[in-house]
Amino acid sequence: MSGCTRLSDRMPEVVHGRSRWTADEAAHLAACAECRRELALLQATVTLGRRTPRLGDAERMAATIERRLTGIRTRRIGVQRVAGLAAAATLLLAVWTKWPERPVASPAGPSRPAAPALVPLPELELLDPAELDSLLQRMEQPSVGGSTLDAPGLGDLEDTELEQVLATWEG
Amino acid sequence: MTPAPLPEPSDQALVAAYRQGDQRAASELVRRHGPAVARFLYSSGALAADIEDLVQETLFRAFRGLERWRGEASFRSWLFTIAGNLTRDAFRRRKGREVISLEDRDLPDRADPDAELAAGELEDRLRAELGRLPRLQREVFLLRAQEGTSYEEIARALGTTPGAARVHYHHAVKRLKELVG
Repeated sequence: MSGCTRLSDRMPEVVHGRSRWTADEAAHLAACAECRRELALLQATVTLGRRTPRLGDAERMAATIERRLTGIRTRRIGVQRVAGLAAAATLLLAVWTKWPERPVASPAGPSRPAAPALVPLPELELLDPAELDSLLQRMEQPSVGGSTLDAPGLGDLEDTELEQVLATWEG
Repeated sequence: MTPAPLPEPSDQALVAAYRQGDQRAASELVRRHGPAVARFLYSSGALAADIEDLVQETLFRAFRGLERWRGEASFRSWLFTIAGNLTRDAFRRRKGREVISLEDRDLPDRADPDAELAAGELEDRLRAELGRLPRLQREVFLLRAQEGTSYEEIARALGTTPGAARVHYHHAVKRLKELVG
């Protein structure tokens, strides 16, 4: 290893004050312009580092970083929740579509959208005016205490009333 | 007789404490390494006005990816790697435009203003030339010259060998020496 190489390897330690030149190294340095230029370069680089703008308060910077990290964690949890809900919805959909007791579409033709359930409703237009008035009056009577518990059952009705109700139900 | 001061906790101990939720450990890591990261960024050509933000971004990325630091390289060298990636990304965004600002230097008063001016000009040229070096050459040179890091440590931090780090360093020195003629 040449004197220049050895000196070059030692320069950072000396420049940072961790070591000192030996007598031989100092003699080499005094005689070698290239090594002096290298030493000047390192000293200029260290000086450049010392002129770096000073940072603000470390605790404030650490707190800012922590706030940013907390924001990321919160968003990550939100995404995980949405993903969990989506997975649950997918599972429910899969169970629903594969459920064995689910009514299957008729093979006779293309499936149609399900029609709303048909609930037998009284055909009011077929009623006599008197029957209609009677029915409307019954519907308009307020239930006692807002409950149907005290309303008369079918067994309490008179025959004519019962016939009217049955006729209404049957259309 | 006053008791001897307690030894400072290692970076690994601070990282472990931070992962347990100790925010003071994070502050200590910022205080311990922030200035060195700032030196590295500034010497690499970052604008003085951007240094604070860049240091914060470097430390943010480090804390976010702490599980990737396995302690093979020192925490500081790992931070330099992240800072190096940041400067490279910033350089790409600028598409190679010059970033060295000559007017943002705050010159202190000294007895010899001419010598000070000459030193300031040398530093500006040095920053500009450092910014033009290939990335590995620049990072090896700054770690070695500015921080006094060993070739072995540099090699672990930058994912290369000590021999290759030495070659990068000498290439950088050869090119930069022209500035200090």
